[in-house]
Amino acid sequence: MASLTPSRPSQEPLMGFPFLKPDEFDYGCRVLCDRFHAWQISSSDTGLSIRFVHQQVTSDSMLKISRHIENIGVHGEENALVYEPENLQELQLEDDSEHDPETLIRAIEPNASLQVDYDIALSPTYQVPVLYFTLRWINHKGPVLGIDVVYQYLVPDEYRKQLKSVGIIGGISFDYHPITGAPTFFVHPCNTADAMRHIAGGQDVTPETYLVIWLGLVGHCVGLHMPSELFATEAGARTTERLGQQ
Amino acid sequence: MSQAPSLISIQKTVWDGKLPLEIVLAPSESRSYDQTDPYLIACSRLAYLPSLLPRLRAFFSPSLIDPNSHSHDGWFSFEGVPLKWHYPIGLLYDLYAEADPASSKGSKSDEAGETASGPHSWRLTVHFNDWPHEELVQLDAEGVVINDAFINSVKEADFLRNGTAKGIMTLSKEDSSGLWEAVQDVDLPSFQRISNILLPTQPFRSVPIRFFLPLPPDSGAPSLKLVQSPLSPSISTSQPQTIGTALHTLLPHLFPSRRTPVLAKPVLHGAVVPMSAPIEEVVRSSAYGDGWAYIVIRMMG
Repeated sequence: MASLTPSRPSQEPLMGFPFLKPDEFDYGCRVLCDRFHAWQISSSDTGLSIRFVHQQVTSDSMLKISRHIENIGVHGEENALVYEPENLQELQLEDDSEHDPETLIRAIEPNASLQVDYDIALSPTYQVPVLYFTLRWINHKGPVLGIDVVYQYLVPDEYRKQLKSVGIIGGISFDYHPITGAPTFFVHPCNTADAMRHIAGGQDVTPETYLVIWLGLVGHCVGLHMPSELFATEAGARTTERLGQQ
Repeated sequence: MSQAPSLISIQKTVWDGKLPLEIVLAPSESRSYDQTDPYLIACSRLAYLPSLLPRLRAFFSPSLIDPNSHSHDGWFSFEGVPLKWHYPIGLLYDLYAEADPASSKGSKSDEAGETASGPHSWRLTVHFNDWPHEELVQLDAEGVVINDAFINSVKEADFLRNGTAKGIMTLSKEDSSGLWEAVQDVDLPSFQRISNILLPTQPFRSVPIRFFLPLPPDSGAPSLKLVQSPLSPSISTSQPQTIGTALHTLLPHLFPSRRTPVLAKPVLHGAVVPMSAPIEEVVRSSAYGDGWAYIVIRMMG
């Protein structure tokens, strides 16, 4: 196991790119988290909150980002939790009888909102960050939120088809949280290293830049958008430019 | 070492390993409370619990208070703990049943881990209601979710062995589903045919092993600590990485010696793994169907 050496000069380019070591991941998360908090003081509410967690016992580091999606119930049919029949056929994940769209819409409180908790941890297998996330109701006791809700509320249209076409049930599936052991969604990390290489190969990438690129690559697929002003520094500008080119 | 059984024969023994299970219906779901007859079965250690659900649902259907549940609503618990269905049954047994593992000091018939381990069957409870959403990922009628979990695990093992998961990703659709079917059917010849496509002929790049440290039940959730770190198959050009060297590196406090278990012992398929066993050979011969060796660390004394 890699030991954490706080004195390591971690703004240096990653030697093992596109892979991350635990101490590099740890450092990148801390820097990103600090940057967000510094920026947040002078900014309007983004609906995001960020926390860095380091477990002493297991020496696991994790970046926790929460996001609110407000007023799920009030926008009428367009945005309410409607289960499109074609989605049901494609996914076939849960018993159809539980998802009568009408009962569901009726059941939602007007001021109900969703909270998405994103946890970013380092995969000991793939040695890249993995995005875990869970959804829960705020102000509402609704049905258990399944993967259909993920596709409806978190995945932007342009990624939907692509995400559903890979793997057995798509690029998003279920796992157990590496630290809490609770069920969670996650984005498959097996292509992350190749994608990172494709985007930033041949350039000097620091731990923080790595995470910023990674958030653009993986976070965007499931509705995790960091405010772009956050990266309006020299290093950040380079990164967002690159992301725009994809 | 020259008399050591071949990897193939060890693999066959592992695949033949069975556990006696005694499965009772949750009393709260039974018309006769706790008087329902249990379901008894000798189950492969490599199988997954949900594979038992259709026959359990059929067996218990006359006793069910709620006749509308489906077999994929079924989940298992042991002494109140919901069992994670994505772990093979043999691993769950090694983790929770607290049976004494067989060791090489025992009689020869102990080597498979099961044959002489005693008359006790492992008593599990099956439920068809009240899915514990906080603890278990829900199953679906078509078995897609469990198939996905299995393939994800296979992919991880493949990535470690080769440094890329291209093997499993370029496997034909037939072979990919065939691999899962072979594990479900505990069909070793079919499994070997497909897994030979995936296994590199040269040494593994890293060896897919996970170590589980069970924590006492009163230590609060989660009750398991999982240790995984990239493990090279050799520690020098002439020395293979053994179970002992790996444990000493990863868990030096529990394994102060590379050769002798002092405070804790590694258990796989119900048997104590020799500290001198090279980890790559352990995985090649004794991995579960998803390509991983899941080794449970058991405290001694």
